[in-house]
Amino acid sequence: MTAEERKLYVKIKATEQMKQLMIDYYIDAKAAEGTDKPVCWITSGGPVEFLIAMDVIPVYPENHGAMCGASRMSVELAEVAEKMGFSRDVCSYARGDIGSAITHGGPIGGLPKPDFLLACNNICGTVFKWYQELARYFDVPLFLMDTPFIHKVKTEHATDYVRKQCLELVSFLEEQTGKIFSEERFAKVALLSVEAVELWKQVLETAEHRPSPFTCFDAFIHMAPIVTLRGKQEVVDYYELLRDEMLQRIEDGVSAVPEEKFRLIWDNIPIWYEMRNLGNLFASNNACLVADTYTNAWAVDIRIDDPLTSMADAYMKVYLNISIDLMVEQLLNLMERYDADGLVMHSNRSCKPYSLGQYDLAREVTEKTGKPVLIIEADMTDSRVYSEAQVRERVEAFIESLG
Amino acid sequence: MDDALARMMELRDDPFQWARGWKERTGSKVLGFFCGYVPEEIIHAAGALPVRITGDNRVTSKSGAHLQSYCCSLARTSLDMALTGDLDFLDGTVFVHTCDTMQRLSDIWRLNACFPFHVDLVLPVRFEGEAALEYMRLELANFRKKVEENIGPVTDAALSESIKLYNRNRELLAELYELRREDPGIMSSDQALWLVASSALIEKSEHNVLLEEVLEGLGGSSGQSDGKVRLFAAGSVMDQYDFLKMVEEVGGTIVDDDFCTGHRYFDAQVPEDGDPIEGIARRLADRGSCPCKYLPSRDRAGRLLDRIEKSGARGAIFFQFKFCDPHSFDYPYIKKALDEAGIPSLHLEIEHDSVSVEQLRTRVEALLEIVRGN
Repeated sequence: MTAEERKLYVKIKATEQMKQLMIDYYIDAKAAEGTDKPVCWITSGGPVEFLIAMDVIPVYPENHGAMCGASRMSVELAEVAEKMGFSRDVCSYARGDIGSAITHGGPIGGLPKPDFLLACNNICGTVFKWYQELARYFDVPLFLMDTPFIHKVKTEHATDYVRKQCLELVSFLEEQTGKIFSEERFAKVALLSVEAVELWKQVLETAEHRPSPFTCFDAFIHMAPIVTLRGKQEVVDYYELLRDEMLQRIEDGVSAVPEEKFRLIWDNIPIWYEMRNLGNLFASNNACLVADTYTNAWAVDIRIDDPLTSMADAYMKVYLNISIDLMVEQLLNLMERYDADGLVMHSNRSCKPYSLGQYDLAREVTEKTGKPVLIIEADMTDSRVYSEAQVRERVEAFIESLG
Repeated sequence: MDDALARMMELRDDPFQWARGWKERTGSKVLGFFCGYVPEEIIHAAGALPVRITGDNRVTSKSGAHLQSYCCSLARTSLDMALTGDLDFLDGTVFVHTCDTMQRLSDIWRLNACFPFHVDLVLPVRFEGEAALEYMRLELANFRKKVEENIGPVTDAALSESIKLYNRNRELLAELYELRREDPGIMSSDQALWLVASSALIEKSEHNVLLEEVLEGLGGSSGQSDGKVRLFAAGSVMDQYDFLKMVEEVGGTIVDDDFCTGHRYFDAQVPEDGDPIEGIARRLADRGSCPCKYLPSRDRAGRLLDRIEKSGARGAIFFQFKFCDPHSFDYPYIKKALDEAGIPSLHLEIEHDSVSVEQLRTRVEALLEIVRGN
């Protein structure tokens, strides 16, 4: 970090705890390989609460993909999959993950081998194709949780379908683990999950304060526990710590970007290999990215009185499983709550459900709020399609136009 | 070429001319659709004509404002057709949840193309298991209700009648494929695939009459396929007839396929006894599956290999649109199975706005050389 960069950042003290939490998690997960502790690979939108309640270790290829991207190791892994015949046009998380499964490459030497797989298509159809390939490669069973897409209105029979699949998932897990599912245990885990999600919401909401103590670049890093470990006590403890630090910042008048002048919203998955540069670029132009559509994806509600039905609804209603008109409502809500001056959209070649429709979303947002939108063409982990000079120029021009 | 076939072939230059003429004659409604999992029988029973939209070979002028360049050309050029007024004869559109792209195209279409009727049929992705099949039946019943509210009544009697017509059509198309497997010389592959595709553009009872005439007129082998290399082809939509003609020109002929506008379109029948919705659901689950659907007990590669063997094909062409994720994900696994079975194959990716048959010619020739050398 250069001296100039240091000025742009106020370090979040809780980061060390978060790092330790994730290191411990990965050490445990890697140590479980080959033991009688079952390991399940799961998609980021999947119902992890069932795994935690059955003492299954959840492993997230998407989180690993983000790590590979941030450490700029994704391209070499993707190339392994490309040599096998996977098109460069398919999701770079999937390509990198398939590559890493084969070579054990990446910053932590690959993920522990799965005993079974759980894919939930509430984030995309790609995860189902990707996990099908994993099921063939590792020769392990796959459970697909199918969450019907919501075009404007959610139907009762869709909720019922997902709820029934939750029960099928329970039987699947009982068969895989040889253990009996305990409703009591599940209720405890669901409660902890709700608590963690609520605290994560509170963390994100601290950025409503002007100036903001927190940026979406911080959120991208600190979301790791809510994605991977929600349902565990240590996650609840961690987000309490983080929330309190952010509230303290507000009290002390500390802002994430030293001279916050513009407040922006981010849309889509981060450009992992370019996070630091982009963070610096916006900060040095006095722009703070105060919220995003991505980390909000885990801010779902689960009702303890009817966990299965409410979970079915919650998992169906995530941001990527709803139609463009419903996404517009959420974007407008974010723009208003966070008092944003504009919107930055990452048009992500790897993620069609997130990216197709952005042009229409951008027009709607500008029409309804009068605020401008910047669209950056990139890929979340495949840096070969990224042009730093072009993005820099466009970001600077955009911020200049804000006033 | 016999009369019926010649008349069918004339329609290929302007695929919607028949539908426009039908609408003028009858004053009835025409609904566009994209996916082969659309239960056309329900639309037909309501007195409307379902027509399939499969993109267009064109440079887009209007869809670029809505869809990125990394979206498949099937979606981009279809949207362009709607936005430039080429589909103004449609009274509505039916979208089935197929892939991530079609899911978003439905929203963009509804918000921008603005046809009077828009319906999303969110079929399950899982096609096995009681919960999935129950959901499928309820979603189909929900679809029937929406069609009834917006198009016209769908009585059980009318639905049974439509199912019979559609079953007859599938039977005739299956017969055509059977005849071509026996002797591909009776008709070229571009003609055969158009006979299937045109079935989704012409009212079924009329299409049945035409097909019957075509089949009756087939007077044995034309001898055209003598010495031609039998090939199998797989992909989603096959609407590139110049490509198919080129394959024939260089000495190949496609004797069977796994296109959703080919074999998958007429595969499996709706049981004619029992509840019609239940029967339609049964057929959708039974027919050859698209890579977007999850049927864990099925091995798609194994099924394709069986069909390759039965058709006597000695090589295969994977023909897909660029940026088609479901097919791209299945390709390495199916390719591997074909390699292991000693079936040489070729993988082609095209985009509707830059089709260059000449560039593909040498690659198809190379495949044929490998096959002949085997």
